[in-house]
Amino acid sequence: MTRYVLRRVALAIPTLFLVSVIVFAMMRFMPGDVVTRMVEGHAYAPTLAALRHDLGLDRPVHVQYLDWIGGIVLRGDFGNSYWTRQPILEEFVRRFPVTLELAGLTILISVVMGIAIGIVSAVRQDTASDYVGRVLAILALSVPYFGLAVLVVVLPSIYFKWTPVWTYVAFTADPLANLKIMIVPALVFGVTRAGPIMRIMRSALLDVLRQEYIRTAWSKGLSERTIVLRHALKNALIPVVSLVGLQTPLYLGGSVIIEAIFRLPGVGLFFFEALTRLDYPVVQSVNLIIAGMVVGLNLLIDLSYAYLDPRIRY
Amino acid sequence: MLLTIALAATAISAQQPKRGGVFRIAEREAPGLDPHLSISFLTHSYVSLAYSQLVRFPNGPEQKSPTDFSILPDVAEKWTVSKDGTVYTFHLRKGVRFHTKPPVNGRELVADDVKYSLERFMAKSGFRERLEPVQAIDVLDRSTVRVTLKEPYAPFLNHLANPSFCAILPREAETKFRDFNNADAVIGTGPFVLKSYEKGVRVVFERNPSYFVKGVPYLDGVVLEITPDAVARLALLRSGKVEQAHIWGWLSPEEGKSLQKTNPEMVVTPTLVIGQGFIYMRTDQPPFNDVRVRRAVALAIDRKGWNDALLYGEGCLDAGPVPCALKDWKLDALKLEPAKAKYLVGHDPAEAKRLLAEAGYPNGLTIPMYHWPGYIPPWRSYYELAAENLGKVGITVELRPEEYGKYISTTALGKYDKAAMGPSTPFTDVDDFLYGRFYPELSTNQSHVADAELSKMLVAQRREMDPKKRKQIVDDIQRYLADKAYYVYVPQWPQYIAHPPSVKGFKHHDGYGLGMRLLYTWLDRT
Repeated sequence: MTRYVLRRVALAIPTLFLVSVIVFAMMRFMPGDVVTRMVEGHAYAPTLAALRHDLGLDRPVHVQYLDWIGGIVLRGDFGNSYWTRQPILEEFVRRFPVTLELAGLTILISVVMGIAIGIVSAVRQDTASDYVGRVLAILALSVPYFGLAVLVVVLPSIYFKWTPVWTYVAFTADPLANLKIMIVPALVFGVTRAGPIMRIMRSALLDVLRQEYIRTAWSKGLSERTIVLRHALKNALIPVVSLVGLQTPLYLGGSVIIEAIFRLPGVGLFFFEALTRLDYPVVQSVNLIIAGMVVGLNLLIDLSYAYLDPRIRY
Repeated sequence: MLLTIALAATAISAQQPKRGGVFRIAEREAPGLDPHLSISFLTHSYVSLAYSQLVRFPNGPEQKSPTDFSILPDVAEKWTVSKDGTVYTFHLRKGVRFHTKPPVNGRELVADDVKYSLERFMAKSGFRERLEPVQAIDVLDRSTVRVTLKEPYAPFLNHLANPSFCAILPREAETKFRDFNNADAVIGTGPFVLKSYEKGVRVVFERNPSYFVKGVPYLDGVVLEITPDAVARLALLRSGKVEQAHIWGWLSPEEGKSLQKTNPEMVVTPTLVIGQGFIYMRTDQPPFNDVRVRRAVALAIDRKGWNDALLYGEGCLDAGPVPCALKDWKLDALKLEPAKAKYLVGHDPAEAKRLLAEAGYPNGLTIPMYHWPGYIPPWRSYYELAAENLGKVGITVELRPEEYGKYISTTALGKYDKAAMGPSTPFTDVDDFLYGRFYPELSTNQSHVADAELSKMLVAQRREMDPKKRKQIVDDIQRYLADKAYYVYVPQWPQYIAHPPSVKGFKHHDGYGLGMRLLYTWLDRT
């Protein structure tokens, strides 16, 4: 197990190196450059050259890359934004808890809803509750979360002169106020993400419920509750965990639309605005940090399989 | 010439202003706070609450119109200009103090601060060409600064008054914080003090109790609620959580009309603001080096139909070369010879076809039209309507949408093939719409105009210091340009300025600042 973990960590290094090179190169291939964005056609050529010099963009590309990656590896310095000239890591650390909280609540809501409806649908297959559950899942899958978010914000503002958009307060400052702010965006995001979980849960549980050992359990006279929750559910959860694992990196990058509509100062907007402004160091560093997290998270998910299915060994 | 204009800070006659209250605005986040390192209007609007300039534009009860760009004293209480228009001597108000924040700690603003700030602008800002004619800035004594220009430069005071350019900053803050992007470094002499900035959440300003104009501002504070999404901004306005859904209170006509229906209590005022949109063409290359082809484009545009179809009939049709709202400089098309005015405001498809045939295109021609589709809502329809209008006279337009980076770094700088279309920045001095758009070799001369006779007049208007004589030259330029069709202008829409009825004394001004707009604004919440 320890050797497996060490090997996976060692493999992460070339992965992250490749991510850093690809993102660095892609930013340079984007049309225009950060300086032309900054002045938007107002400045004449000498001004542009001076601005490029200020930002160090007149140096050879490999020097710029080494300067950036060297700062991270040697000093843990992720650089400063070209626009705000403020440290990127500081901003990321300030914003990440918002994204993490939204991700956590979203996953919680989607998993609880998805698994609960999935179980009912599977256990009561082809009954009215199964049909209702499946219709709900399809509805959740087909309603885009950004459309739902807009409706949730706009409709009450028109009809009740009220809207669920507040000024963000950190959980550590005021937990209740924070939850009031976070719950609506998490519900909007979570409900629309519950659909796929419900469908996977239902089909996985149906598969497991047809296995020999479940038949044995029935023949032993165990209650339905014990069979479903103690014997079948754990085995049926593996594809659900994989799905949640696959969805999680998306949450870690933040949701630009949810953050923009509900005024949440998360990582998604930080990254998106940096991308539209061609703020090279922000895009590069945030990408690298998130890539690092995704690599770590995948490792954790792989290790969790061993808990869910004791036959899996590393 | 001695220019002293008394500050007319008189109270609004109808109602006595009340002190107190916090004015909340929902707006996107500014890309930075340093007024010299960003050209964003958001940056300049944010920090205009905290900074002063040497001179400023009138606001509130002082202004005659939203585009009244007469020059009032700010930290300079008076100034003199030499007879040849090249030496400006500014006498600063005494006792003007910076906000009491470290490391400046409320020290008095002195001539050195002015020299430092103007020189920093000229060294760092993307707008630095605005002060290109400045040769030297000398501190004569603690409260006197002399600016020497290479040549007379009529737009000089307008640029000094524009909050996008010349905020007066304290050097110590840059020494301590490296630049003025840090919220703690925002230390000015303006009406509001920046108290806190939670990135991505809100910026809080409080009333400056030591502001050098006594009795104002009336507000206790201003809070910028950072709201990236336009839908959410409007929802916040509708639900009474903010006083304005845009840093200047603007809404598009669609949003304004919708708000009038859902919230009839709101004060919604359609206002013609400086703005301009045009088709620009490579006039240095075929086919647009032939004036007949350009005139055909001008006559193909059905401005009235356009106005009715897209702008509820509320747009301004006579939109260039000087924008409709810039009334002090605008020569109305009605005052031009009708034979020339038709190329600015007329619509004559038959004549357009005849001109094309005469120019050697009896069967019409095909042109690309480069553009960025991401500009605010009417623009996407603008491109399509332009293509449709031109198609009716035989000019087949292939719309070529570009990614923003590509557009702003190539097409918008004049690097494109044949034709393109887009909006203009709303400048505050007429020079930018004339010299900037038509003088050879400038990147803002998007149509590649090189017209010797015109160039002479363009230089003459910026060197003419007598406003009346300058206006005559600007009129001559407009008469000269009318039938040249170097740019083909399309109708301009009004902005709907919206706020709840509790907001009093707020007047729209097109001068980029927010601090001055809110100087005379007050809240009546009783």
